[in-house]
Amino acid sequence: MSASAKPIIRLEDVQKVFYTDEVETHALSGIHLEIRDGEYVSIAGPSGCGKSTLLSLLGLLDSPTEGGYWLNGDSVSGLPLSERARIRNREIGFIFQSFNLIGDLTVYENVELPLTYRGMGAAERKQRVVEALERVGMAHRAKHLPSQLSGGQQQRVAVARAVAGQPAILLADEPTGNLDSINGEAVMGLLQELHKGGATICMVTHDQRYARHADREIHLFDGRVVEESAGLSIGGA
Amino acid sequence: MRTFWQDLRYGARMLTKSPGFTLIAVAALALGIGANTVIFSVVNTLLLRPLAFPRSEQLTAILVKDPETGQLYSSYSYLNFQDIHDQNHVFEQVAASYMTTAFLRAGDEPERLRGVYASADLFPLLGVDPLAGRAFSTEEEKPGGGEHVIVLGYDLWQRRFDGDPKIVGRQLTIDDQSWTVLGVMPRGFKFPVGVAQVDFWMPLASSLSEGARAARGAVFLNLVGRLKPGVTLDQAQAEVNAIAGRLEAQYPEANTGLKISLVSAHERLVGKVRPALLVLLAAVAFVLLIACANVANLMLARATVRRKEVAIRTALGASRWRIVRQMLTESLLLSALGGGAGLLLALWGMDLLVAAIPADIPRTGEIGLDKYVLLFTAGVTTLTGIIFGLVPALQASKTDLNETLKDGTRGMSGGMQRNRVRSALVITEIALSLVLLIGAGLLFQSFRRLLEVSPGFEADKVLTADVSVSDKKYPEEEQRAAFYHEALERMKAIPEVQAVGAVYPLPLGGSFIVFTFDIAGRPPFPLGQQPSADRRIISQDYFKAMSIPVLKGRAFNDQDRTSAPPVVIINETFAHRFFPGEDPVGKAIIPGEGKDPVTREIVGVVGDVRHAGLDTERTPEYYVPYEQTDVDRLTVVARTASGNPANVAGALRGVVAAMDKEQPVYNIRPMTQLLDESVARRRFNMMLLGGFALLALLLASIGIYGVISYSVAQRTREIGIRIALGAQLSDVIKLILKQGLALALAGLAAGLLVAYFVTKLMSSLLFGVGATDPVTFASVALILLFVALLACYIPARRAANVDPNVALRYE
Repeated sequence: MSASAKPIIRLEDVQKVFYTDEVETHALSGIHLEIRDGEYVSIAGPSGCGKSTLLSLLGLLDSPTEGGYWLNGDSVSGLPLSERARIRNREIGFIFQSFNLIGDLTVYENVELPLTYRGMGAAERKQRVVEALERVGMAHRAKHLPSQLSGGQQQRVAVARAVAGQPAILLADEPTGNLDSINGEAVMGLLQELHKGGATICMVTHDQRYARHADREIHLFDGRVVEESAGLSIGGA
Repeated sequence: MRTFWQDLRYGARMLTKSPGFTLIAVAALALGIGANTVIFSVVNTLLLRPLAFPRSEQLTAILVKDPETGQLYSSYSYLNFQDIHDQNHVFEQVAASYMTTAFLRAGDEPERLRGVYASADLFPLLGVDPLAGRAFSTEEEKPGGGEHVIVLGYDLWQRRFDGDPKIVGRQLTIDDQSWTVLGVMPRGFKFPVGVAQVDFWMPLASSLSEGARAARGAVFLNLVGRLKPGVTLDQAQAEVNAIAGRLEAQYPEANTGLKISLVSAHERLVGKVRPALLVLLAAVAFVLLIACANVANLMLARATVRRKEVAIRTALGASRWRIVRQMLTESLLLSALGGGAGLLLALWGMDLLVAAIPADIPRTGEIGLDKYVLLFTAGVTTLTGIIFGLVPALQASKTDLNETLKDGTRGMSGGMQRNRVRSALVITEIALSLVLLIGAGLLFQSFRRLLEVSPGFEADKVLTADVSVSDKKYPEEEQRAAFYHEALERMKAIPEVQAVGAVYPLPLGGSFIVFTFDIAGRPPFPLGQQPSADRRIISQDYFKAMSIPVLKGRAFNDQDRTSAPPVVIINETFAHRFFPGEDPVGKAIIPGEGKDPVTREIVGVVGDVRHAGLDTERTPEYYVPYEQTDVDRLTVVARTASGNPANVAGALRGVVAAMDKEQPVYNIRPMTQLLDESVARRRFNMMLLGGFALLALLLASIGIYGVISYSVAQRTREIGIRIALGAQLSDVIKLILKQGLALALAGLAAGLLVAYFVTKLMSSLLFGVGATDPVTFASVALILLFVALLACYIPARRAANVDPNVALRYE
């Protein structure tokens, strides 16, 4: 990653407030954040500090209460649902803690799913799915159902689904949270490989061992960025 | 037993814990069980309950079978009755009767009564003794056998004589003659059974003229017999066949082709309503099955929620059978509640049904709850509890202990696999609803086609009124004709009346007078092969008043008087059938009326009228002027200018009263009412089956809505994932609708297949439409598909609004 690389994500003074039964909860306050093309950022912090809320905002699953959000230079803070869905589909790849594969779909169909929502032609879809599965070493399990895979394998399939659409950024929410240490290391290795290949990654983790894989660590506490530090990552392109 | 009470208490606790579920389930079951109870009470009364006479299974209708159409009707001459009565060895008794009307004069207004002339054998044959006095004897039935005697019906005795205990022996003035009351029949006694009102019974002999006694061709009697003990219907049939053969050989001029057919009196009475009742019974059974499927679905949903409870019970050592038993106890408790509520609904529904039931359906006054209906309801309730409870109980008892107690699958979102049973139930519901809807659709199409049939006249703005002229007061034919002539002339002068005519019998009035005939100038038809035609006696402006077109020749006019050459007008079917390619006007026919047949010249041809109903074939008819035949009763038909023809009722009465206030005007009703009544049975069937079909549709819609809603709730996380991956609102809606569509299409396919075979069973109820009418099948399937998709759309919208943040927070 070069310092002059263009910012993929830019947040300016973002706030997120939840209202429940007349109780106001400030989940995020005054967040300023830039993630540049090819960067690998980890977001860490204790439980309830706002990590997941921040990731939801970044993933356009939620909107900030105040502040600006630019993705690839375009403001995306006030977009309608359908436009947000379109951008999510094309620009963002999600990797969840609990994999979130659809049990009734095969490995192949799970990876193909975001591409079908994009309206991509069958031939291109097939090419992308096969490439993604090969990249994570799961091509041989394409016809299996998720229930026939181990946790580590399921997470690799989830990674393949996230990268198949060649998104601008991968958002990973505790990707190793449901895995044992061996499988956790394997998935982190996979993310490292993707990063080396030029992927921009933003990962939420509370595990300091994995946070240090990133170029940059952002620490949240009570909804605010309290510290930014360089990680151990070798960096991307 | 202790565990049963334990299960019952626990079941009751579980039901009160989920009042919403309990309420919906009980409501669905109550509708299903209630509908079944109502229809079964009708089936029980009409089809299963024996007639209210001792040893009623021996009562047999002695009918004549039309050799051409195979139709059965009651029509015997007095002489043939005597021969059958005397020659048979299979009946204990044979009685003859025919219906009549008479006017009881007791006060200013004469009351029109309906009664029966019956042979003396009737009461012993039926096995019912009078409540007071006695029935008439064989002596009183013989010609000149004493004074006029009458036996009163219980209702008439109460209504007109306040149950006077000294009624026996009292003199009544009926039809200007004095009749002595011989007895009063007990409450509920009615013969003929299928007739709505029977006020009295008079000896047959008192009504018969010498001519009627002596003419073997004058057929008007209904015969009923009581089989001797041990004699089967087949044995009796064999004997009456032999009697018919002898009568044919001895009296060929009247009996050629005579076929006597025996049918049990019960079958004769209810045979015609059986197909419709069985269709309705099947329909309510379908409704109940759909309700069961709905409740089973609810139980399955609950079973999913209670998986952990079942797993804990199993872990603690409960056997599968023990779990099934506990669940079944709950479902039986639920069905008992539904059965109770259904019974209450049925009590209300029965009143509603009896009030709406067409007047021509027999025995409706007897419909009600009895021990058989209660037994049926109890049986259906128990069966229902087992049907809807068994599958969920078996499912629930199959829980994977390990998986459930660990709280199983993580990181995946499942869909249809776990819902196979629920889906199968919904498919069944849709299939059954489709069958019912197609059935109702076919009846609706039939009814629509029926209403498109022209009766051959314009019923709007026409008022009808029966006018009788006493043959005691006006004994000569000419006197009665003059009375009618004068009355019609005066009615014509009523300002609102545009045209007025008279006829007997009135179209759609249920009466027919059929005569055989020969055609003048052609060789007589061979015996037994004489064609017959329906005769109507009319006045000259009848066609004008009814707007029946005169197609050829002319209508009757002032020249067609008593002394003028006899004339006749035939209908189009008569002309086509007997004068094909010829002009019938100017030719003549010789109807076999009376002892000395008269040759009548055809002066006109008029359009066909469907006298017997819109759904009957057009038959040959001929019209004669009332001035040229003996008549003591005509129905006036007055075409009015106003929208409501009833407005002239008072004026019509006034005309007759001004001439002779003792001559009654009765049965005043618009012609449209007769038209309406003629299709009442079909309308009733259609409305009832339509109602059940709509109920089925509603239940099936709730069923599919429930399954899809449940599925959406189960798939919340999956939907959240899809939305996170970029699925648009439309993608999610499509996803859910596709699931609903798959269920609906499977249900439709199964339903169409079943309907293809089942609807053939209701062919006899259809008119102008085939049992597998593709238009009905297709349109009903499309409607059901639309409703099913609509039912899916609500949960689909809900799915599209899933907040992915919330959905994914399950992690």
